[in-house]
Amino acid sequence: MTTLPLMDSSLLSMAPKGLVQLEAEPHRLIPERGLEAGEQYRFHFDMTKCIGCKCCVVACNEQNGNPAAINWRRVGEIEGGYYPDTQRHYLSMGCNHCVEPSCLIGCPTEAYTKDLNTGVVLHSADACIGCQYCTWNCSYGVPQYNAERGVVGKCDMCHNRLSDGVAPACVGACPEGAIAIEIVNIADWRRDYLSANAPGLPSADDSISTTRVTLPENMVPDTGRVDLERVEPEHPHWPLVFMLVLTQLSVGAFAVLWLLDLLGRDFLGKAADLKIGALASLTLAGISLGASTLHLGRPIYAWRALKGLRRSWLSREVLTLSLFAGAASLFAGMLLFDLPGRGAAGLMTVLAGIAGVTSSARIYMVKARPAWCTAYTIAEFFSTALLLGPLFVSLLAPSSWVLYAAAAGGGAQLTTQALKFLWLSRTDVFELRASSLLLSGRLQNLFVTRLAILVVAGILIPVMGTRGWVIALAFVLALGGEWLGRFLFFISVVPKNMAAAFTSSERAAA
Amino acid sequence: MKNVGLKSGSPKSGGLNLLRVLGLDTLKEEYAFARSESTGYTSAKKIPDHWVPTTCGYCSVGCGIEIGVKDDKAIASRPHAAHPVNRGKLCPKGLSEHYIIDTDNRAKYPLLRKDGKLVRVSWDEALTVMAERFRATQAKYGPEALGVLSTGQLVTEEFYTLGKLVQLGLGTNNYDGNTTLCMASAVSGYKISFGSDGPPGAYEDMERADVVLLIGANLADNHPILCQYLEANRQQKTVIVADPRVSKTAMMADIHLPLKPRSDLALLNGIAHILISYNLIDREYVAAHTRGFAELETFLEKYTPEYVSNITGISLDVLHKTAFLYGRAKAGFIGWTMGVNHSTLGTATVNAICNLALLTGQIGRTGASPFSITGQCNAMGTREAGFASSMPGYRKFDNSEDRAELASIWGIHESRLPAQRGLAYPDIIEATVAKKIRALWIIATNPLVSYPNQDVLRNGLSNLDFLVVQDGYHPTPTTELADLVLPAAIWGEKEGTYTNSERRVSKVNKAVTPVGEARSDFDIFLALAEKLGMREELYPGWKTVEDAFNEWRLVSKGRLCDYSGINYHMLAEHGAVQWPLTEGAAPVATSRLYADGQFQTADGRAKLVCTEWAPFPEQPGGEYPFILNTGRTVEHWHTRTKTKEVPILERLSPRAWLEMNPRDAKKLGLHSHQSIDVVSRRGRIHGVELRLTEITAPGQVFMPFHFAETNVNEVTQDAFDPISREPNYKQCAVRVEKTLAHAGANS
Repeated sequence: MTTLPLMDSSLLSMAPKGLVQLEAEPHRLIPERGLEAGEQYRFHFDMTKCIGCKCCVVACNEQNGNPAAINWRRVGEIEGGYYPDTQRHYLSMGCNHCVEPSCLIGCPTEAYTKDLNTGVVLHSADACIGCQYCTWNCSYGVPQYNAERGVVGKCDMCHNRLSDGVAPACVGACPEGAIAIEIVNIADWRRDYLSANAPGLPSADDSISTTRVTLPENMVPDTGRVDLERVEPEHPHWPLVFMLVLTQLSVGAFAVLWLLDLLGRDFLGKAADLKIGALASLTLAGISLGASTLHLGRPIYAWRALKGLRRSWLSREVLTLSLFAGAASLFAGMLLFDLPGRGAAGLMTVLAGIAGVTSSARIYMVKARPAWCTAYTIAEFFSTALLLGPLFVSLLAPSSWVLYAAAAGGGAQLTTQALKFLWLSRTDVFELRASSLLLSGRLQNLFVTRLAILVVAGILIPVMGTRGWVIALAFVLALGGEWLGRFLFFISVVPKNMAAAFTSSERAAA
Repeated sequence: MKNVGLKSGSPKSGGLNLLRVLGLDTLKEEYAFARSESTGYTSAKKIPDHWVPTTCGYCSVGCGIEIGVKDDKAIASRPHAAHPVNRGKLCPKGLSEHYIIDTDNRAKYPLLRKDGKLVRVSWDEALTVMAERFRATQAKYGPEALGVLSTGQLVTEEFYTLGKLVQLGLGTNNYDGNTTLCMASAVSGYKISFGSDGPPGAYEDMERADVVLLIGANLADNHPILCQYLEANRQQKTVIVADPRVSKTAMMADIHLPLKPRSDLALLNGIAHILISYNLIDREYVAAHTRGFAELETFLEKYTPEYVSNITGISLDVLHKTAFLYGRAKAGFIGWTMGVNHSTLGTATVNAICNLALLTGQIGRTGASPFSITGQCNAMGTREAGFASSMPGYRKFDNSEDRAELASIWGIHESRLPAQRGLAYPDIIEATVAKKIRALWIIATNPLVSYPNQDVLRNGLSNLDFLVVQDGYHPTPTTELADLVLPAAIWGEKEGTYTNSERRVSKVNKAVTPVGEARSDFDIFLALAEKLGMREELYPGWKTVEDAFNEWRLVSKGRLCDYSGINYHMLAEHGAVQWPLTEGAAPVATSRLYADGQFQTADGRAKLVCTEWAPFPEQPGGEYPFILNTGRTVEHWHTRTKTKEVPILERLSPRAWLEMNPRDAKKLGLHSHQSIDVVSRRGRIHGVELRLTEITAPGQVFMPFHFAETNVNEVTQDAFDPISREPNYKQCAVRVEKTLAHAGANS
């Protein structure tokens, strides 16, 4: 028996760093040298060491002062094999600090930057307007919206600690040393990033995740997610449901108004109705664009959404729909005062409107949300315009041709919905199948109602060419139907994400 | 249900306001970051004014921890870098331990039941009523009509103080702790095999052994910080885990023994049989330091590999491999926890483990030890200094020398010391049912969640004339039944020492002022003694817990658990020190018991015990086809009184689940996430989430025991080990059925 140094006196004098202290040999877990050109920092996760204790999650929340419902680092479970040769492994993941960060590409305010020195994907809470578009763009569910504060947040690899030579909170807290920071050569990684993939993680192809995962050698082949049977509907985003349908209605209505105006009074009879129609459509567009800012966590900074035009479809939507509103005002004014040359203003309105609806649709066509990432989204949005625009105009300027146009829109929407559902239900892609199972399962009544409204109010009544209050009823029904449809669009999408733990709480706020 | 949503609970975040709706960053300060000398770059609101070193108050691993304090509030926790146990790490509970102190459900004021309702009273009234009611009950029904149920959660000084108060002051020996629900089988087993309680080894042995056999021990969930020791030197070590469930720990093993439930005793006997057959035993050690070998050898004859393979379901091959590995180990370590203890054969199984260590001489050396890994932070303290299952200092009630020695230290007449222990925990409950115990004092434990077969317990407690519950929290399912609730200061609010599983004594310090009028248990005991007019007699001149510690050092002097060389100054200087440490000795890094082969028996020899295997009491079949196993999850502690108040832990583990093999579920037409009921002959658990997994064998189901809302102890069996009186929590027969929509919660 030796007499003790019970405590190494050097340990006593060592200034403790952080809520979670360093282990005795921190150098093994964070790089010992600086970065050279073409390199960046990344996480290494050693699945063979992780015991699923979730210390990293707790340490991360403490380090960043986040409430419990927001977890910048998460631990998921995967299982495989048959008793007693069962295996369960854990996935611990913060941000993957991707080579092609989809959050950054989508952000309309340039709140995201990929740090030139470290490669860390940084998010600025000051620049963020809380549009949450990044939360739809990331295939790993990394950025999370903090509704209390109105902005998004995410893992920044504790880069401010790293630059002080101190391990990130998760790295320092792990009792098993399963998480480390290492250096990667970006060009090499682009060539071969296979080890960014793991069972329970979405493909690294989406954004070239830089996190390297060490998998167990003897992993059983059927190892996979344990959370597949828990598919919860997503957030409805009410202001967006409201705004999308009304802007599309307005675009459709102006297209009809422009055509009717071009075709002339002989075709229609009374011109006064077009004026009222134009003013009404303009009002709806204005209301819906205003209301859409309610979706933002920080509405007064909505103007910043124009900053990301180079990359972000959200910025482009804001621009094109603003142009549409401007052109539509011009066209409506000229119509009101019967000014000549308004055909060109109308054409501008329609073109800006088409660009606006296209931009809206492109926002949703992101790899991280497979059920949205399809031409059906474009078809759905334009079908709404084609159905509701003519139907709205026909309230004020009744015409069989206009009603036939509405019926065509109803038919197109019905076809879109039917084909999309068939596509969803006949694939092997988990997120798509799960989406169809939501629609045919717990959302079945709503989905069937939505289709029935389309048949009755979107096709049958317009084709019958009835007038008066029946058309008014059909319009109200069809508008309600499209709102319901857009509501289903939002809640039935199943995003890509990392595998969750079996008993974890509801999805993170996003 | 606790709100674990987005509200951070900060006063600055109070609801929606116009500025926030417009989009101004009203919470910028809340989410600000800052650098400080002691924390580095971190969330500004988590930077404390100072750090208070202490010891974690959850499990018995005994991690060093520091509490970050700002404005008399605990705002952060971090590992104590220099503590010898945890090597700069904590588990998720430890990392968030500061959240348990200032919670909505803390007991803040004494509450007395008046006209059926608990109303706030002064401490003076509370203690006067308590003393009067206890005395009146004892005057009417005899001194034994008072029972006391204690805990493993207090500091050692408090256990020592309480033991004197109960046995000498209140004069009843019907005194036991929830430790009987936890590690009593280890205590009984050690006493029979080695002549005394006391875990022989140290954590370092798990690191230094070349063969580690873990039996019924899921360290990864229950003692995650010990996984550092298990995983160290992994290339030079073979880890064998015996567990019917493919636990996290089983998956870490080189060899997993998926034995049939409660066949561990047969397995151990089988290994002993093979070791003897192949002469893989240390005959020299056996001859020099044990007795009973001849009887054991004869007894083990019937535990042939074929017989054992049949009972355990472990193949002959693997059985032999396991025996050879342990028999040929340079240093063999056997660790166990509740899979062994929670059994009607718990004591016998501990003896069988000790047999293996003795037969091979795998004890008292580096890496070689049979080693119980205890449950609560200071279960060891109550075992050593308490006065429940033995007298302080591991002295035996039935040993007249022990009684005489203790009486002379205390300066009392020997007749005041009971010659036998009183009722054990389950027998106290039985005595409440039989109305033999009429008043009960429950301290820092929550039997309304933790006791097996809740029906019997509720029945018993409803018979009481007077129930006092002393706890840090109110309401709990137990305090709600109390006639008197005494609010106690908890971890972080008081001082003392904890002793961990490897006999390491570690200082517990006060970081913040107790909430409300809560007082430390030590203060409460002294104040009650004063009301009883016995304070000076029992605690002459005592003012602080250190006075209690110093008397305890004297009482333990010369005993196996010798604390006489340990003092507060040394603990502050060295962090933590193992007993035994005689006065004047210098502490060593790691010590082991029985290094000299001298045991605590009359002849100094350890006893080889003949331990007969038998099937567990309630076999599955008929209406109840499944074997229900119970256990823990890493995020929660015991009955979740504390951890349900920690938002991040609730977020990570919000509710109970029942694990079932998919093949069984298919037959029953059940699917994952479905709400099911678990039904036994004793009760029903309503509305548990089903989890289908190959982790659990066909025919078995598993459920965590932390959740009062879906309490597994509604169905567990009140069958107890005849020696240790520990309940058989790990196996009972149940059926599983879909929750009926119209059925209401039954508990």
